[in-house]
Order: sequence, then structure tokens, then C-alpha cells
Amino acid sequence: MRRLAAGLVTLGLLLGFAAPAQAATAQTATAQDYTPVEIVHQEVLAVGPYELTVGFSTWPVRAQQSLDFTFEPTGGIDRFTGTLVVASPSGEEINARRPPGLQGLPRHPRQPDVWGLDVFALEEPGDWTFTLGLDGDQGPATATMTVPVLEQPGPPLGLSWLISTVPLFVIVGLLAVAVVGGGRQPVRTP
Amino acid sequence: MIDKPWVPAWILLIGSASTLVGLSWDLQWHNDVGPDTFYTLPHLFIYAGSAVSGLVSLAVVLAATGATRSGRTVDTAVGGRRVAVFGVFQAPVGYLVSGVGSALFLLYGLWDEWWHGLYGFDAVIASPPHVGLLTSVMLAMLGSVITCAAAAGQRWAGPALVASVAVLLGFSMVVLVALPDGSVVDERTVTVSLLSMAALACVASFTRGLRAVVATATTLLAAQVVLALFSPWATRVYAASEGLPLRDYANGLPRMSLLMPATLLLGVAGLALARRARTSVLGGALGGAALAATFPLQAALLGVALQPPLQAAATIAAGALLGAVGASVGDRLGGALRLLVPARTREVV
Repeated sequence: MRRLAAGLVTLGLLLGFAAPAQAATAQTATAQDYTPVEIVHQEVLAVGPYELTVGFSTWPVRAQQSLDFTFEPTGGIDRFTGTLVVASPSGEEINARRPPGLQGLPRHPRQPDVWGLDVFALEEPGDWTFTLGLDGDQGPATATMTVPVLEQPGPPLGLSWLISTVPLFVIVGLLAVAVVGGGRQPVRTP
Repeated sequence: MIDKPWVPAWILLIGSASTLVGLSWDLQWHNDVGPDTFYTLPHLFIYAGSAVSGLVSLAVVLAATGATRSGRTVDTAVGGRRVAVFGVFQAPVGYLVSGVGSALFLLYGLWDEWWHGLYGFDAVIASPPHVGLLTSVMLAMLGSVITCAAAAGQRWAGPALVASVAVLLGFSMVVLVALPDGSVVDERTVTVSLLSMAALACVASFTRGLRAVVATATTLLAAQVVLALFSPWATRVYAASEGLPLRDYANGLPRMSLLMPATLLLGVAGLALARRARTSVLGGALGGAALAATFPLQAALLGVALQPPLQAAATIAAGALLGAVGASVGDRLGGALRLLVPARTREVV
């Protein structure tokens, strides 16, 4: 039992040494190391009586490629509350960086004066639907825009998965050999 | 190095633990903050852990090869039986497995870098290169379990085996994020039943008792609590030091800890209830069902809706079935690990 306690204490220390290491590490990186939001394409959307500019950091958008989206109502985000519902080409709604059921527009973390989605990817090619809602001094309004998404870049996904599942097959093969070998003796638990 | 089996085994275990801490922190970072470069502290923990595992594995393989060639005997407590590799090396099987896992990890790290050049920052965890990276780590951790099991009977080996299985099981829960969201049966929940009962039954059959199984579940619970406190805190502090804000709607819930089953001791209870049976299958079914009944309550914290009663019942039934399958496999894996130990030992913890 004492050995067990020693083992537990050791593991606790292993996990705990991360804290002082984290605190003691000199910071070399700064926020400038992170890509600033660079909008290369904009679309202006009429939402009832309001105007909303949607920005994309990559255009055209390709499936599974991460990019930044910005949403900026004319007059600034302080004068509105905004909502966003993102639906895939098959009509399935996705959470878009929010807990399930919440539709509020988050500010863009690297450009807090606009709403936005950072490092966000649309998983499948086809026409995605963004339903945007604004509520300002002239009441609530919604509008829908289509975001066309092209095929994913790079090698075919099947090939990528084939390359990437080698360790998984090694594990499964190893376990299979062990299961066959381990079955050669009767195993009892008292 | 190979005269003291505990030295490389514990170094390998420290490498595995470092990778687990790094993964937990990294998931939290991507959840609450967002973009990263290769040079972040969470990545340092992940990659340093893998480097330590790889280097110690290589050192042991070279030392064992040298010793064998000069006619000295190498204790099988160092990583188990030796396997001839390329007709040149004499690699103890545990360190061969951990070394291959660590080497694959580096290759998939390069694949991941190329992928990011094409796809940009990480938007998803379950990308092909990430699956390659994570399963490589699991292979290295499996090697760590084998090295601890091979030394059964030595004083240090019991706690080390318990810790290595806890680290492997805890880390393996990351596979849940690659599974689709529920249909009739909640795939993530039944996967928890399968993996948990396999690990617990393996320890039970290897040690021929339940003390080490209780210790394994307790150790994982302790690690889960420590990571739940550490990861969100470290993410907040690190983001502040980098001048990055937390995302709106980031809830700060511990992402990795919530993937680990907090009710793992119920799985142990299932094995304990059925310990008179010849195999662990019945115990696996009981434990698997208990885990499948309780895990969704934990997932609900992350906003995952609870299933309606009929589907929840189907999930519990599937959890029992997969728990039984897992325990049956775990039983045999324990038997295979015993083959590494030359002398029959009593309970090793």
C-alpha cells in the first residue's frame, strides 16, 4: 500500500511540475506572432433595414481549410445584438464555436471591434447557408447568405487517412497477436 | 541503464505523463483561445514527452544489443523478451514498441506541419495527421505498459504498471472526439465502456487480483482532477501572457478531463461483483453498463443533450455488450503480458 501511495505521489508530482514550469518560462512569443485578421474578400448583406459586411480571410473558401470570418454591421457592433446560424449543404446546423443552442455572435478574438469566427473551417464542399440576425434601433431582422465552398485541397482524403491510420493498424495488429498469445493459458481472477 | 530496470521504465513513464499533460492543455487552448504556432508550451510538453520516450527506448535497445553481443545476459525485467530487429539489434519488446511509437510520432509531426501549410491553423482535432500523431503516442504508451509489466515482482513495478495503464487509458479517451455524434446508440459512451473495461480486465488478469485495478482507477481519477484544475488555469495564464483574449462563449470547462470517465470505479465494482466467474466477461458487462449509464451525465456538462429513455437504454445495453467484449480482450491481454514474466509471481501490487 505504501508503494502504491509512492506511485500516486510520483504521478501527482509529474502532473504538478507543469505549473511551476509554466510560470517560470520566459515568454518569447507575443501576440504579433499570431496572424492578424486579413480580409481578402467582402460581401455586403442587407439585413432588413440594416447593412452587414461579411469578410473572409481566404477566398474562395475550400472545404476543411481554416479561415477567419468577420461580421460588421454598419454603425458598429455596440449598437446591435447579432445572431448567426450556420447550416451545411445538407441542412445540418453546426454549433460554430458556441455551446449547443446558443446563437449569439461572438467577437473576433483577434479583432474585438467586430464579430467573427477565428480559425474556423467548413467541413464539406457545397453551398453553406449563413442566417444572420440583427436587432437594433429599428427592431429585429434576419437575412440569409450562401457561402459556396469548393472541394478540399491536397491529396484525396482516402489517401490521407490511409497514411494516417498506420499506427492504428500497428496497435490493432499488436493487440491481435497478444490476444491470440494470451489465450494460450487459462486466465483466472480469484 | 539496463542494470537498473526501473530507471528507463520510469523515464519512459515520465515522457508519457508529459505528453498527457501537454495534450490536455493543448485541447483547452484550442477550445478557449484558438490559434497557435508550433512553438507553444503545450506543444513543448507533448513533443518533449515523445522525445524523451524515443531517446530512452533507443538507449535501451542499443545497450541491450551491446550487452547481448558481448555475451552478457540481459534481464527480461528490462522491457521483456528481446526481439531481433534487422538481424542486428536485440530489442526488448517493450522498448521496441515504445521506440516505434515515438519514431512514428516524429514522422506524423512532419506530416502535420505540411498539412497546416495546406489547411491553415487547427480547426478540428480529428484531422488525418492528428489521428496519426495521437495513435503513435498510444503505441508508445502501450510500450510503457509492457516495460512495467515485464518487471513484475520488482518493488517499483507495481506502482509503475498502475500509473502506466492509467496514463494510457486517460490519453486514449481522446479518440472520442473523432467519433460521430450519437445515432440510436451513443458511440462515444459505448467506446468508453469498451476501452475502460479492456484496461481494467487486463490489469485484473495480469495481477490476478483487484487491488491494482482499484489503484489504476483511483490514479486516473486523481490525474483527471489535477488536469481539470490545471488545464483551464494554465490556458488562462498563458493566454494572458501572450496578450491573447479568451474567446467569447469559451466556458473554461476542462475539455480533456471531461472525456475521461469519472465513474471508472463503477467498472471496478462490476469486476468485483463477478470475480468468482472464470473470466471477466460478466464483470465487464456489469462495469460496461454502469459506465454507459453514468458517462452521459458527464457529457451533459459540455452541453451534450441527454438521450431519450429508449435510446439511453439501448446505449446501456450496447455498453454492457462492449464492456464484455473489452473485458474478454483485456483478460487475454493480461495473459499475454504474463508471458513476459519468466517466473510466476503473486499479486504484484
